[in-house]
Amino acid sequence: MTQTPTTEFKQTVLDNGLTIIAEVNPQAQSTALGYFVKTGSRDETAQISGLSHFLEHMTFKGTAQRDAVAVNLEFDVLGAQYNAYTSEENTVYYGAVLPEFGPSLLELWTDLMRPSLRPEDFELEKKVILEEIELYKDRPSTMLFDWGRERYFAGHPLGNSVLGTAQSISDLSLEQMQTYHARRYTPANMVLGLAGNLNWEMMLAQAQELTAGWVGGEAPRAYPALRSRTGQAREPYAKATQVYMALMAPGVAAQDPRRYAMSLLANILGEEGNSRLYWALTDTGLVESVSAGSDESDGAGLFYVYAQTDSANEAQVRAILQDQLEHLEQGGVSQSELRSAKNKLATGLVFAGETPLQRLFSLGLNYVYNRTYEPLSETAARVEAVSLAEINGLLESKPLSQSFLYSLVPAGS
Amino acid sequence: MAQTQVEIFPSGLTLAVEEQPWNPGVALQLLLPVGVTTDPEGLEGAASLIEGWLWKGAGVRDARAFAEVLDDLGVRRGSGSGLEYTTFAAQFLQDKLEAVLELYADLLLRPQLPGEGLEAVRQVALQELASIEDQPSKKMFTALRREVFSSNHGRSAAGTKQGLEKASAEVLGQDFANRFTASGAIVALVGGISLPAAREATLKAFAAWGGQAAASPAVRLNPPHPVHIEQDTSQTQIGLIYPDISFGHPEFYSARLAAQVLSGGMGSRLFSEVREKRGLVYSVYASPGGVKGYSYLSAYAGTMPGRADETLRVLQGEIERLAQGVSLEELKRAKIGLRTALVMGEESARSRVASITRDLYLLGRVRTLEEIEAGIAAVDLERINRYLSANPYHNPWIATLGPVEVASVG
Repeated sequence: MTQTPTTEFKQTVLDNGLTIIAEVNPQAQSTALGYFVKTGSRDETAQISGLSHFLEHMTFKGTAQRDAVAVNLEFDVLGAQYNAYTSEENTVYYGAVLPEFGPSLLELWTDLMRPSLRPEDFELEKKVILEEIELYKDRPSTMLFDWGRERYFAGHPLGNSVLGTAQSISDLSLEQMQTYHARRYTPANMVLGLAGNLNWEMMLAQAQELTAGWVGGEAPRAYPALRSRTGQAREPYAKATQVYMALMAPGVAAQDPRRYAMSLLANILGEEGNSRLYWALTDTGLVESVSAGSDESDGAGLFYVYAQTDSANEAQVRAILQDQLEHLEQGGVSQSELRSAKNKLATGLVFAGETPLQRLFSLGLNYVYNRTYEPLSETAARVEAVSLAEINGLLESKPLSQSFLYSLVPAGS
Repeated sequence: MAQTQVEIFPSGLTLAVEEQPWNPGVALQLLLPVGVTTDPEGLEGAASLIEGWLWKGAGVRDARAFAEVLDDLGVRRGSGSGLEYTTFAAQFLQDKLEAVLELYADLLLRPQLPGEGLEAVRQVALQELASIEDQPSKKMFTALRREVFSSNHGRSAAGTKQGLEKASAEVLGQDFANRFTASGAIVALVGGISLPAAREATLKAFAAWGGQAAASPAVRLNPPHPVHIEQDTSQTQIGLIYPDISFGHPEFYSARLAAQVLSGGMGSRLFSEVREKRGLVYSVYASPGGVKGYSYLSAYAGTMPGRADETLRVLQGEIERLAQGVSLEELKRAKIGLRTALVMGEESARSRVASITRDLYLLGRVRTLEEIEAGIAAVDLERINRYLSANPYHNPWIATLGPVEVASVG
């Protein structure tokens, strides 16, 4: 496991500005690596809504050396387990292979970071994106957060949709994508992360050579003030037969040292199987499911509760939820609740270190936000160190009283 | 890699242990061959209700005290009841093994099954059942399986509204006594524990457990024919099921590799023909699956209604074109893909314990990595192509769900 003392951290910044980090674990059976590009829907204007995600798809379509078919075949030849995702603020390309294929995977991903963006691929992939948009329309639980975030963040770019709309995607031009790529995929705005069984010196030298031609400067990001919406909005949705609720409230940023306390608070409020909302709503049979979480972003955070229930229970669920949140905000949590939550997280952290791919995500994302390395043992120590005063301190600014409750309900209910 | 050590106790309980001395954690999976396929007639959903009900108090502890003692031990857990079996998964630190097994023994041997707790469980289950309406692909696959099997294997794992509403505490209590037995149950452990310690702790915790397992029903099939469900969705859901061969078959790995050629990576046939070349879908795949005693290849695609006819035609065409054989390059990529997935699956104790349990349930033994690798290596181009030509995928069961019917290929 990665907590063994043989795990070693390496980092460097190349002359072109690209940061490379690695958690080397010679005992691992695989090598994971990926590019973390600090760009997402929050970096888009309304005119280019959905572009970051569309570009992520286009990255797989090939480069000067490779066409789309060749790219897919090469990943398969390496036996790679790989993919990519786009969020409001990151675009992440990742993969894991047996250690002997690590250098080939590095070469492939690095080449792909400078895609050709051919017009015929652009038009074809547009159709795939439009299908993806339609797919999520059939899932009320996904649309709840897409629309809910837009309303809650009230004009702040963290409310921008990752997928965009059928209209915004149809309107996008290849030139807009080329400009965006040149502006956002600069070496200084990217982190190359490596984890698992690998030769650091070799991989570093290889990355240096492969990215020697990369140019581009800073890729600034806007941090406007967040004035989030409060109150409630309840909207009918023709594709929902159940009631979907998302309660959103101010949370903590990914850079905030209070983030450990915030995840413990979410656990105490909404963990499946034993939490305040579990006993109040699931154990009583009022909901299909309920959960709480902390979504930590660049400079801002969101604390949320999700619940799914039958229309017949809606009013009661709302009342109980409101009551539970007031009770939490006024009374705080107890020492025994905190202990229990810490125990569960401690076990979770042991299992979070099992595979290089799992390590890559926490290693890379933490570095993007905090420019530091945090071994699992340190994460565990920080969770353990959270005091009752600290967790209850999160409630002093009365975040739950500034919440916004968004629901999608069956049409006609 | 450590070998899995397997013992069957006189009660019929199977213990499987894979020692990972370097691992501070332990992953547990407990499986009982109890699911909707063995639910009494008219009580579909009974096993699922019982699984939820067990958590409402066990041994000397009520529901809350039981959850709290597990949390105090730092046990992360999940459980659920499906088509053929009920599983309880848990992860914890190695020194907690005995205490954790004692608690799961309380759950399975000494549940309190309080009447008021059942009503809450029933309400959650009814909402789960209702929410399938909001998950079109799940709803389509549920309908498709019903078309395939005339035996209980065609039932929905979520049960029926009638079954969930009808099950009384008395009937369920009796059903629990009949079906949640040691015989046929599996306890699998992977992590920083030793076999002797695991054996002693398991024997001690489950000493009082006995009973005979309910016989699993024989598989019976319906003749294939297409079914359409009309629903106003944005995408049309398309599902196919083809008969396939099972573990014991000498050409099992030929079939596995063929499925990998079809849908193993982004270079595979389905992804490249349906999505990459034609842009018909976001999601398309085929995967081997099945129930005990019957294996199949299932395939899925979701697309806008106007393109559903073409999508089904291309999807079905690609699957059935396998009969014409695969290329050497395709076979090579498929072998690497399967082998990598195997090795990486070993890295996680949680995924390892799940595959051990699955092997034990379906095969009655655990395949070693070496055995699987040898099986894959033994398939050459001539062999796989001979197999595919003699055993073509054809005549599938088809289900579609969407606003308009989909024209199926004859």
